[in-house]
Amino acid sequence: MGLRTMLGAVAALGVLAGMAAAQDADRVAVITPYLAQPGTQFYLDGFEAEAEARGWDVNVVDTAGDIAAVISRIEDAVTQQVDAIVINVDPAQVEAGLVQAQAAGIPVIGMDAGSHELLATNVTSNGYAMAAETAAYVANRIGGKGRVVLFTFDPFPPVQVRGVIADAVFGNYPDIEIIDRITPDVQDGGIADSRAKMEAILAANPDPGSIAAVWAAWDQPALGALQAIEAAGRGDEGIVITGIDANPQAREAIAQGGSFEASVAQDFVGIGKATAEAVARVIAGEEIREPVTYVPTRLITASNVNE
Amino acid sequence: MIHLRRYATLVGFGLILLAFALALPDTFLTAQNLINISQQVSMLAVVAFAMTVVMAMGDFDLSVGAMASLAGVVAASLFAAGFSLPAGLLAGLGTGLLGGLFNGLLVARLGILPFVATLGTLTMFSGAAFMVSDGRTIFGDDIPEAFGAFARGGLPVGGLVLPSLSLLALAALLIVWVLLEHTSYGRRLYAIGGNMEAARLAGVPVRRLRASAFAVTGLGAAVAGLMYASRVASANPTQGDGLMLNAIAAVFLGMTMSEESEPRALATLAGVLMLAVLDNGLTQLAVDSYLRQFLVGAIILAAVASSRIGLSKG
Repeated sequence: MGLRTMLGAVAALGVLAGMAAAQDADRVAVITPYLAQPGTQFYLDGFEAEAEARGWDVNVVDTAGDIAAVISRIEDAVTQQVDAIVINVDPAQVEAGLVQAQAAGIPVIGMDAGSHELLATNVTSNGYAMAAETAAYVANRIGGKGRVVLFTFDPFPPVQVRGVIADAVFGNYPDIEIIDRITPDVQDGGIADSRAKMEAILAANPDPGSIAAVWAAWDQPALGALQAIEAAGRGDEGIVITGIDANPQAREAIAQGGSFEASVAQDFVGIGKATAEAVARVIAGEEIREPVTYVPTRLITASNVNE
Repeated sequence: MIHLRRYATLVGFGLILLAFALALPDTFLTAQNLINISQQVSMLAVVAFAMTVVMAMGDFDLSVGAMASLAGVVAASLFAAGFSLPAGLLAGLGTGLLGGLFNGLLVARLGILPFVATLGTLTMFSGAAFMVSDGRTIFGDDIPEAFGAFARGGLPVGGLVLPSLSLLALAALLIVWVLLEHTSYGRRLYAIGGNMEAARLAGVPVRRLRASAFAVTGLGAAVAGLMYASRVASANPTQGDGLMLNAIAAVFLGMTMSEESEPRALATLAGVLMLAVLDNGLTQLAVDSYLRQFLVGAIILAAVASSRIGLSKG
């Protein structure tokens, strides 16, 4: 029986082999360790819709969090001589695989992966632009004057660039004073510690109007600040709070019309679609000049949060 | 019947290879692909060889994956703090040796069941890895260029390059094979596995041997963790965790091929290669990731079931 079971398994393999038999369509391997994360699914929806329209044969490989396995699967895709590889993982960590793809002349495109010289291009949202959107929103809402609290996180490069832009925008207004620039502890996700820090700042600045706005480099500190402000009974003071990423909790807060007024939504489906467009360009033989391809983001306020 | 039982897994492995060779005539049985497979599986292989040492005594070590993660972040944290390459590597290996010895003392001195003892240390090592790394991935400029370059390099042989990681796994195989098959130390481990009480009465220093065997396994796990960190040129506190279950699966697959169903180094190698070949071949055939995972599990079960022919009826 054992032998027969084995033969059965082999027969199953044979059927699968038949399914994968020679095709003329362009073959694209999408390799990610993060398929189970909701964001990744949106990227893929956008990518696959576009890929289907172009008649590609797409193979999506999930390594369930295993980064070394991403390298292994890139090697397998290179062995298979696919026409292009898409990765959704920090390219620096899978460089061993990128080197092999380069040696075989197979282009690799990043889908919100991070920049790397071995990628044809990386398709992502513009962190500079997102920070500029919310910082300018804050500056305009408070009429270019007042005392502002910043929540930033410089150890993480994608968030660090947001802080740089906020500093620049607020620095352009002589009457805006940054009274604190806080790096919250993010072990707990960032909300609880941001709330504690904001409570301390509120205690130190008890007068109504002494804090005009809270600008946060991502949503969690903004939510923590909102909780602190409401718990202190200062929710009607008109303190303007903004975040970035427009996660569901932030959208809910914005929809309620309280102090949390704005955030920025990335277009994940659009990133997937633009990734497919970049793949089409490199398959056609084009050398993409921009190492990073930006997909537009959208400012979310009470006026469009329910769309 | 005995022969069928012993060779069913091997025959199955042969048929799987045949199926892939037929389905992928141009890309499966190529030198480059086989070299790729040897590299892809090298880290798992080292953990599985190390696991074979404790399993020879009938024991388990569930903490190997967590130890691999911990050794990686210990080395990487030292690199980030400006320590030299040798210092980081030694600290990683030392962590493995000490952690393994700690497992051994819990099992051999305190008499805690290996399953429970190493489940406890799995959690401790994993927590320690998060503490050491602050929960972050250590990468980029913090990792010395030479450390990442090691895994990308290899020994050039006639137009091909034998990857460093594959050679390291081969060395680990050689060491474990000699240790288990050609030393009195190894024979005593199998004696403990056969009947611990009889071994003790025959004068085998059971406690010391068990403790030392766990230390060897811990060291092996640390080696694998450093290999992993080198391959991805970075370290995070969970990256080696997945190695543990696959290593145990590989040893079990190997046991179905060995006489007396004992864990043997070369049989473990066959088990490890079987898992790697399935991963590589099914990926090349563009089989859905989740279906691939399902099939690998089913094939492990089929192999173990086939080795039970006749036994289950008795």
